Amino acid sequence: MNWLRAISLAALALLLVPIVVLLYYGLGPLRSPAGYGAAVFRSIELSLFSSAVAVAVDIALFTPLAYYLAREEDRIAESLVDIPVSVPHPIIGVALLILDSPITPSGKFLLGLHISFYNTLLGLVTALVIMSAPIYVKSMQPYFESRDASAEEFAMGLGASRLRTLFSVVLPDSFDGLTSASLISMSRALSEFGSISIIAYYVLQYPFYGVSPASVTIFQLFSGNVAGGLDAAVTASAAMILVALPIALAGHLFRRRRRS
Amino acid sequence: MIEAHARRKLGAFSLSADLSDGGFICLSGRNGSGKSCFFRAMAGQLPIDEGSVTVGGRDVSRLPVERRGVVLVTPASSIPHLSVDDHLLWGARLRGIPLDPERVSRVRTDLGIDFQGRVRLLSLGMRERVSLATTLLASPAVILVDEAFANLHQRDGFMATYRRLASEAGIDVVFSTQDEADGRLADHLYLMREGRTEKRF
Repeated sequence: MNWLRAISLAALALLLVPIVVLLYYGLGPLRSPAGYGAAVFRSIELSLFSSAVAVAVDIALFTPLAYYLAREEDRIAESLVDIPVSVPHPIIGVALLILDSPITPSGKFLLGLHISFYNTLLGLVTALVIMSAPIYVKSMQPYFESRDASAEEFAMGLGASRLRTLFSVVLPDSFDGLTSASLISMSRALSEFGSISIIAYYVLQYPFYGVSPASVTIFQLFSGNVAGGLDAAVTASAAMILVALPIALAGHLFRRRRRS
Repeated sequence: MIEAHARRKLGAFSLSADLSDGGFICLSGRNGSGKSCFFRAMAGQLPIDEGSVTVGGRDVSRLPVERRGVVLVTPASSIPHLSVDDHLLWGARLRGIPLDPERVSRVRTDLGIDFQGRVRLLSLGMRERVSLATTLLASPAVILVDEAFANLHQRDGFMATYRRLASEAGIDVVFSTQDEADGRLADHLYLMREGRTEKRF
């Protein structure tokens, strides 16, 4: 008997039991039409769209940071990256609210430029970027660290700057790492609730006017804020899992592939 | 002409190496003798506690890697996603050096680069040929070859050709080897033992 394997699989089962139970009841005994109606699918659409945009921003803005942390010893920057995900997530929602409030100088400035976070697509995406970027960075950093630096040092010796080396030498050869980190951070963005339930409870902009993100919709169904109740919340949760699970699994599959 | 004096404590290992010569220079020593550390110190990839690195009379000790004019070539130095043609011209383009197609063609022929395709698909020896030719065409002041001659077919002939091409381009080359007899292929021979250099000729 391999006890390590037995204990590990038991611990894994403990993690998965709630998901399996939810899928069973959501797709079976408690299935409710309100849980897979047009409103729920619109909210899943909004979550997918905003998470995809957030990941695109993560790639554009935070890939250089992940590379910097992998190649330069900057422990302060490394520990600061984790802050957004190590505080209770509603705090980020409140912070964005204050940042963009008419009672603060920053808010007056942003509103003067017609930049508003409250119940806008921009606010939703900004919150998702802040919550998913640390996951993206922490996924890309070990990938960069695991790469043999010889080609980069060769390129730098020939005259390429660090940034040029990143874009000309490292990234063209990092498809698996980028895909894996993007999918994992997208899956994190899809699961966000705390911050977006404050800054973007629903979106008041075309093409998602009046639509809430999926996690907020599930909470609304559960709390009775919209018609549905527990049955609808369980069904909508199961639908969301069916959408989010392949993204998370694909991310981990790419991570395994890049390791091999 | 490269003049390097590097002092550095690396845990229990102590690097205390000196080299001052031009031409085709052999640095011979066993595994763990400190050759790669010394090369990395000269290339700017390993900070030194004391000493200096001078290239052609110019002190480059405080310059970043990309501004030293010193290129370190190891067996893993190639840029895998490039094609052989793009790889060969990559360094020269980066440094803004106009290349005569005849010279490129001659370097290709003389160094036995008669293959095409993506660099990642080549054998180790082929990749080393491409990296060494790329560096030559980029015309740095100094090329440091850390074991990158080791896996080549007809190695002695290749090294003699490389020595000639580097000399024609006015580039100094320092290469590492574990075999002291390789000194016969060089203008100067340095031995390295436990982090210390000793000039033989």
